[in-house]
Amino acid sequence: SFPAAVTYSKPRLATFWQYAKVELVPPTPAEIPKAIDSMKAMVKSFQSGHLAQLTVKEALRNGLVATEVLMWFYIGEIIGRGSLIGYNV
Amino acid sequence: MVPPVQVSPLIKFARYSALLVGMLYGKTRYDYLKPIAAEERKRENEEKKKREELERIAKELAEASEDSILK
Repeated sequence: SFPAAVTYSKPRLATFWQYAKVELVPPTPAEIPKAIDSMKAMVKSFQSGHLAQLTVKEALRNGLVATEVLMWFYIGEIIGRGSLIGYNV
Repeated sequence: MVPPVQVSPLIKFARYSALLVGMLYGKTRYDYLKPIAAEERKRENEEKKKREELERIAKELAEASEDSILK
């Protein structure tokens, strides 16, 4: 029933919104140079052989983050082609 | 409730750039595939019409040349 679904989802939606407001917002213009600096630092540490000090736990965590970023690409593709599954040509 | 985590600017930037690139890729690939599919459908329709025409002719010939005392 619809009212029951609404009653169930309202507080959960509120919780989601509370987290999303902080964690899913796009970067502010001020954060973009910080992001570029982090990227440069990452490249430098990769070149300096810090890779040998990387723990398996850190590597797995980084892999997980990279996978999540990759998934955003596919979400973008869904939006760009205008359909959930396949191209409706 | 666990306090929300402060996401690093690099990750935010990477996520939304990936989203943007994905949208552009989806749009351009769709625009590329659309005329190709339309062309394919047009060709299919033409060939189907030709085939049906040939089948019709073959059927009429078959009916005409059929010898049967039942007709």
